[in-house]
Amino acid sequence: MSGVTLEKIVKRYGAVDVVHGIDLEVQEKEFVVLVGPSGCGKSTTLRMIAGLEEISDGDLTIDGRHVNRVAPKDRDVAMVFQNYALYPHLNVAENIAFGLRIRKEKKDKIAAAVDEVGRILGLTPYLERRPADLSGGQRQRVAMGRAIVRRPKVFLFDEPLSNLDAKLRTQMRAEIKRLHKRLGATSIYVTHDQVEAMTLADRIVVMNDGRIEQIGTPMDLFLNPANTFVAAFLGSPPMNMVKARIADGAQGPIAQFGTQTIQLARLPELANSKGRDVILGIRPEFVTVATADTVGQVKVEVDLIETLGSEALIHASLAGDPFVIRTETVGQMAILDGISGFTIEPHLIRVFDAQTGQALPGQVLEQ
Amino acid sequence: MINEPQLHGSKTEELIVEAGEALRRRKPSRMVRIGDHVKREWQLYLMLLPTILWLLIFLYKPMYGLQIAFKDYSIFRGVAGSPWIGLEHFQTLFGNDQFLRAIKNTVIISFYSLIFGFPMPIILALMFNEVLHQTFKKTAQTIVYLPHFISSVIIAGIVITAFSPSAGIVNTVLEWFGGESIYFLTRPEWFRPIFVGTGIWQEAGFQSIVYLAAIAGVSPTLYESAVVDGASRWQMMWKITLPSILPTIIIMLIIRIGNMLEVSFEMIILLYQPATYETADVVNTFIYRQGIQGGQYDLAAAAGLFNAVVAFVLVMTANTISKRYSRTSLW
Repeated sequence: MSGVTLEKIVKRYGAVDVVHGIDLEVQEKEFVVLVGPSGCGKSTTLRMIAGLEEISDGDLTIDGRHVNRVAPKDRDVAMVFQNYALYPHLNVAENIAFGLRIRKEKKDKIAAAVDEVGRILGLTPYLERRPADLSGGQRQRVAMGRAIVRRPKVFLFDEPLSNLDAKLRTQMRAEIKRLHKRLGATSIYVTHDQVEAMTLADRIVVMNDGRIEQIGTPMDLFLNPANTFVAAFLGSPPMNMVKARIADGAQGPIAQFGTQTIQLARLPELANSKGRDVILGIRPEFVTVATADTVGQVKVEVDLIETLGSEALIHASLAGDPFVIRTETVGQMAILDGISGFTIEPHLIRVFDAQTGQALPGQVLEQ
Repeated sequence: MINEPQLHGSKTEELIVEAGEALRRRKPSRMVRIGDHVKREWQLYLMLLPTILWLLIFLYKPMYGLQIAFKDYSIFRGVAGSPWIGLEHFQTLFGNDQFLRAIKNTVIISFYSLIFGFPMPIILALMFNEVLHQTFKKTAQTIVYLPHFISSVIIAGIVITAFSPSAGIVNTVLEWFGGESIYFLTRPEWFRPIFVGTGIWQEAGFQSIVYLAAIAGVSPTLYESAVVDGASRWQMMWKITLPSILPTIIIMLIIRIGNMLEVSFEMIILLYQPATYETADVVNTFIYRQGIQGGQYDLAAAAGLFNAVVAFVLVMTANTISKRYSRTSLW
């Protein structure tokens, strides 16, 4: 089994801990994405798995073997770097073959492997070119070629698409996904781009300040964020956060903010939290726009409407906090002109404790 | 084997590359581009101005005096007033055994300096790059840089003392091992090794700075990538560091070839003596003796011009060869 297990992994520089004892189990053939803001420790974690950074404390196993003290070359991992790390003096074929040559593989085996990788990645016409003569996307493909040619047990990707423009990034994202399906290798991918994380991952690991905030499938994290950090980090636009206080209502618990109230789900934890200060997490996609005559709406003050073609973003404010609504435009343009608020199903509202930022227990939104 | 369908490169990327090439084909004329560049980057050109003035005043204006190589020069008649005599000085020079010997010595000493002296700074830089202990590295670097900052006169004094037949350390060691004392600096066969060795000792450390700077410019991720691929430090040195600094090495080689005939004139003056003229007298010392000591400025100018023309041909040839085979050149 080519899984990767991190147990209480710590990275310490002097007296400063930058990774605080994280636990993670990556299954064989799984595509796991480490995501988080800059400086959260995700690249450091990846580099510890690669062997480029020493592990200060904890245990790392790859394929069931303890590898804390094993040299990078003996871990059977391949890494794709952010800036491609292509050798400028070597052509594409030589770059792809580099790892095999270092390992003194036979020439005919190297040639066959390079041909195969060139074919898979559409690099055959460029095998004789040097990196300087390639476009960004082609360079990125060569970097991936260098990684896959060795057929390692684990692929490590360190923000491989962040040097590409938006269009190429989308294209290369799809290629990485297809490649993973074909090769079926265990992959750990680091990015700060939540779109990459959502689209590529079997499971996402959200990191913040050297700690894991939450691990789960993309949809699980999107629907059931464990805390306000995850809620705000995943999703574009991010989840709206509204400060409120829980009270009793005629049909179960309600949340009060300013002069308005909103119905919450009839869950025991919410019903028993009367008077508790909370933060309501409301996804911009989960609300339905309301006009003046809509009953039971929450009123907002609309500042700006951005029309993006098939959908629109309505920038508003609610109880002094910014509030964004995302809605389809087809057949709705007339409504958008007269928007006064929104309605939402109570079970789609995520309730977080105002003090700790953690989601109140018992709230599970099925996919 | 992987028998899945291929992933293809983007059509958009191809179109972008083609569009870029088409744009390059339609670029405006060279003069227009230079003019635009001067207008846009005038601050940079302003900073270049002092160097251009220095070149004009100290290197181009004196070229006026080169004409005395073709004249029967008299300091009383001046450069313009002296009569033309064509190539007479060159005929005199090439009929002079001492000049031919000086050319031969210049070429041999330059060749030795190139073969033994050129790789040394590169080797030093590669070695320094491999040293992980920072204190040791800094101390060693300081020690090897130091001779560069010592006056040639003092260096020559150290060499003369070291090779002295009575108290020199070299002869002392020789005698310890049962050898006989040798007066090295009066023996023609020893002059070239001592001169070349002294040059390497004095300059190799300082010259290694250029290569250390080039090594510092190599992206660390190239090494990290190689580490993951399984490369040893030795393999990384050969397969990453050296190829990465090759353009710098080539540029330095071209410059070195251009200066090949400019052997360290003052060091030779300080170390040679009539007994070693046979292997030590080079074109520059010949010019010094003829021009300054003998007062034959016109003959010395002819010898100097010959030296410069040969150096020019050498640097042009080296640059052309480098451009053709390594894509790296001075211009």
